[in-house]
Amino acid sequence: MKNFHLALWAILSIAFWSSCEQSYTPDTFETQQEIVVEGYIEAGPGANPTYVILTKSIPFLSTIDPNKFSELFVKDAKVTVNDGLNTVELIEFCLDEVPDDLKDEVYAVLGLNPDSAAVNICVYADILGQIKKESGRKYDLNVTVDGKVLTASTTIPKYVELYDFKWAEPPGKPSDTLAELNVKINDPLGVKNYYRYFTATTSDPQLIPPFGSVTDDAIFNGQTFEFPLQRAQRRGGGFNPDAFGLYKRGDSVFVKWCGIDKAHFDFWNTRDFAANSGGPFASYTRISTNINGGLGIWGGYAVNTYRLYCPPK
Amino acid sequence: MHNFKLIAVLGFLFLTNTIFGQSKFTLSGYIKDKSTGETLIGANITNLENQEQGATTNSYGFYSMTLPSGKYKIGFSYLGYELQVFEIVLDKNISYNIQLSEGVVMDEVIISAERDERRKNVEGTQMGTIELPVENIKKLPAIFGEVDIIKALQLLPGVMSSGEGNAGFYVRGGGPDQNLVLLDEAVVYNASHLLGFFSVFNADALKNTTLIKGSMPANFGGRLSSVLDIQMKEGNNKEFSAEGGIGVISSRLTLQGPVVIGKSSFIVSGRRTYILDLIQPALKGGNFEGTNYYFYDLNTKWNYTFSDKNRLYFSGYFGNDVFRFRQPNRDFRFDLPYGNKTATLRWNHLFSEKTFMNVSAIYNDYRFQFNGGQDDFVFKLFSGVKDWNLKVDFESYQSTKHTLKYGVNYTYHTLTPNTASASNGEVEFQTTFKPKYANETAFYFLDDMKINDKWAINTGLRLSIFQQVGPYKSKITGEDFGTWETAKTYTGWEPRVAINYKASDNFSIKSGVTVTSQYLHLVSNSSSTLPADIWVASSEIVKPQRGVQYALGFFKNLDNDNYEASFEVYYKDLRNQIDYADNYVNDISKEVEESFVFGEGRAYGAEFFLKKSKGKLNGWIGYTLSRSERSFKDIEGGRWYPAVYDRPHDLSIVVNYKPLKKWDFGAVFIYGTGKLFTPVRGFFFVEQNINLFYGPRNSSRLVDYHRLDISATYTPKPDSKKKYSGSWTFSVYNTYNRKNPFFVNFDTNTDFQTGVSTITGTQITIFPMIPSVTYNFKWNQK
Repeated sequence: MKNFHLALWAILSIAFWSSCEQSYTPDTFETQQEIVVEGYIEAGPGANPTYVILTKSIPFLSTIDPNKFSELFVKDAKVTVNDGLNTVELIEFCLDEVPDDLKDEVYAVLGLNPDSAAVNICVYADILGQIKKESGRKYDLNVTVDGKVLTASTTIPKYVELYDFKWAEPPGKPSDTLAELNVKINDPLGVKNYYRYFTATTSDPQLIPPFGSVTDDAIFNGQTFEFPLQRAQRRGGGFNPDAFGLYKRGDSVFVKWCGIDKAHFDFWNTRDFAANSGGPFASYTRISTNINGGLGIWGGYAVNTYRLYCPPK
Repeated sequence: MHNFKLIAVLGFLFLTNTIFGQSKFTLSGYIKDKSTGETLIGANITNLENQEQGATTNSYGFYSMTLPSGKYKIGFSYLGYELQVFEIVLDKNISYNIQLSEGVVMDEVIISAERDERRKNVEGTQMGTIELPVENIKKLPAIFGEVDIIKALQLLPGVMSSGEGNAGFYVRGGGPDQNLVLLDEAVVYNASHLLGFFSVFNADALKNTTLIKGSMPANFGGRLSSVLDIQMKEGNNKEFSAEGGIGVISSRLTLQGPVVIGKSSFIVSGRRTYILDLIQPALKGGNFEGTNYYFYDLNTKWNYTFSDKNRLYFSGYFGNDVFRFRQPNRDFRFDLPYGNKTATLRWNHLFSEKTFMNVSAIYNDYRFQFNGGQDDFVFKLFSGVKDWNLKVDFESYQSTKHTLKYGVNYTYHTLTPNTASASNGEVEFQTTFKPKYANETAFYFLDDMKINDKWAINTGLRLSIFQQVGPYKSKITGEDFGTWETAKTYTGWEPRVAINYKASDNFSIKSGVTVTSQYLHLVSNSSSTLPADIWVASSEIVKPQRGVQYALGFFKNLDNDNYEASFEVYYKDLRNQIDYADNYVNDISKEVEESFVFGEGRAYGAEFFLKKSKGKLNGWIGYTLSRSERSFKDIEGGRWYPAVYDRPHDLSIVVNYKPLKKWDFGAVFIYGTGKLFTPVRGFFFVEQNINLFYGPRNSSRLVDYHRLDISATYTPKPDSKKKYSGSWTFSVYNTYNRKNPFFVNFDTNTDFQTGVSTITGTQITIFPMIPSVTYNFKWNQK
């Protein structure tokens, strides 16, 4: 849809090259900061430990650099997760407290790019692995900070496998160096399924989600469905349309495929749509949240990570 | 069963027409322009010895006036035309066709005719109805010199532009889809070109424009807010003539003439923009070679008068926007054509001097397409509305005090939602959305009656029946419906009442209640309407919109009818309003109605209007104070918030000044409260990416809008008797170069090297001061 809006805007720009821009500053704006939850609980092969990051939102018209970013972390909160059997309190730690030889692993778990992480990130984590993580279970999050209570619930759904990974010629122009990855899924009938995935390659070793990172099963409910699984690209990392979504031959490839619940899907679906739309004709998109009293996401993932190799031609 | 009863009542009324009035006689006929033979709509027929007895021509120029037998002095008049007075001995039914000349000689006579026109302000039960003769609209300044009837209507109180330079309009706090736009009775589903900057109506082809924003009479329905009823010219049936204009961005040409002199005529009128055609040589060999944009309109009409009792009209409109984008070096291309086609075949028949019938068969088709691709990849998108419509309308002129109208209207709708298909070589993908089908039927009856010198009442009832029909598979029960099988039926009883109390000769109080139903909806997720927005029919998921409007108005003519003034207040109660939730995600695998949320609305306001139509200096001032609000359970928990159509203050001042025969000056000043938008409150990080979050819906406003446009028309030889005449119109849009915001865009930027993120707001202005010049010419035409 972004392209469509851009096209419309192109018509206008061509027709009225006289348009002019000036910076906009509202007369009044709120400076009150919201608490933002980013927390995940995963079950399955290659699952990460459960953790929650608490930050504050940034008011409009602010600039944020790594130093200020470090100040956004909400510290000394009481964060608990109830798995239906026990309530486990997560333990707070910051990256500067982590021994250097463990840092890379922690970065990987938190989905951070070690090169740009000049920020001292603080998390609340289930370091001792006390939470029972399995498909079909519901998890209640409770955060108490400065007398304020935030709550959220998520579930880890039943995992649906990917299979029959195949490397194919990219569509359009033939290529000696690039390949398309095709996979199959056997989507269960009668239940609404929601999926999200991440990829990593030798060239870009961190698992990241693609721009449109979630899908529901609206067009393949109950079917065996084959589709191209696009390689994810980092935001702001430059855009090459010829290589978009394709894998470099000779690379190792990691695919992390996840089942998520409806609220978790809604968060990423609205987030991805909001990030990709804009311009004169777009309306605003409010990012859905399942956090009562704040912003962000408390999301359950049923995961599996597939390790593949994209052979040279 | 109800339907049969209603038909029986209508039939009875029809029969009774011929029984009544044995001791009275009827004067009837057509009123036309003497030089062109064009019928005149809204011309007045008055008994000069008792001005309470009068009639007006209908939209086909027909009048009928029934009086007791006797001798009468009857005046025939029309704004800008010479009054003609005849002594008529009415001792039998008389058919009398009148030809009026445009008045230039006898000023007093013209004044008298114009005065009749201005009396309409205080006479009659109609309120919130405005007729704008196209000739008056042509005198107003226009952006790029493009005369635009919809932009002229936006200068009236209660009518607001949907955005800078936009031909979309909001009436009394209602949405743009709540206006019924009719061109020769055919519904025009998308009335604008170039994303709304120009309306599809080429003024040269049009005869008359009526906007009904208040008490909608029962012969109209299907929309909640207003009716914009536009009639095309019929064509000169006496001699060939031509007119046209050469402008900065487009040119126009209209040809008209007799097919059989006095009996049959035609008109063909075309307009096309060419500004990007002119830069094609510059694009050649470049990155965008082949890229072009233009729009065109073609209006045609033909009519044949078989006899005074039978006339046939055939009119058609074809308009398209064509946008072609090419980037040859990347083999990237797309075409974005969209437009309307309408065709109307009408038969006027007089059953008697008092009973006029019109039968219309109408076809219209609006389609929006997007065809694009790169290399072997092809993507196509299609949506549209297609209607087959049959209408039968009767007008029965019982006496000078009593008119009945009744009829039936049936439409078969085909609505195609976004049907997308894509292919990449041999791999194909297609959405499975099927077109939706519906029957829309309406019966109406209205009675316009002058009870006595003081009181007049217009009562009406419209019964609308909407059926969603198959082929359709229910989304709720899964049931399959075959072709023409009814899946869902909605019925709307729509009573309408309007009352006029004439307190004195130049002061009246009018009041009305209007109940309306709307079965087709256009829901937009953007700040203005777009050609890509999809019309959606009422269905098992989408309920019809319902509205009730209460209006009260005070109408006064001042200074011997030189000034017309009015003050109107209204309150609207709107039900089953439709919007998208604010976490709406456009997903082509879903039908749009799956993302709708439903709520209610209210709109209220006061409108002030002061108009001077006479003299060298004339014009009007219109001011509206209004609010429009909505509440949706699924948007912020049902909080009442201001609708995007809410602009509390709206002021228009329109001035025409003709100091000399050769010069005509016009000026328009507009002031309006700024447009609403939903502000960004701040941003937050998830997965190390910036995300925006917003404040409450529509809780911020852009700065107030204002601008001044001026124009001057120079006619070198105003008194020339030559067949060819020309004039120059110079206009300046936004004279003092006000930077009115078109929209505000919020963007986030992250420098991945330094890790610095910022959020910025940018206000975009699209129209600075724009001067333009247009040369208009006429051949063999006044």
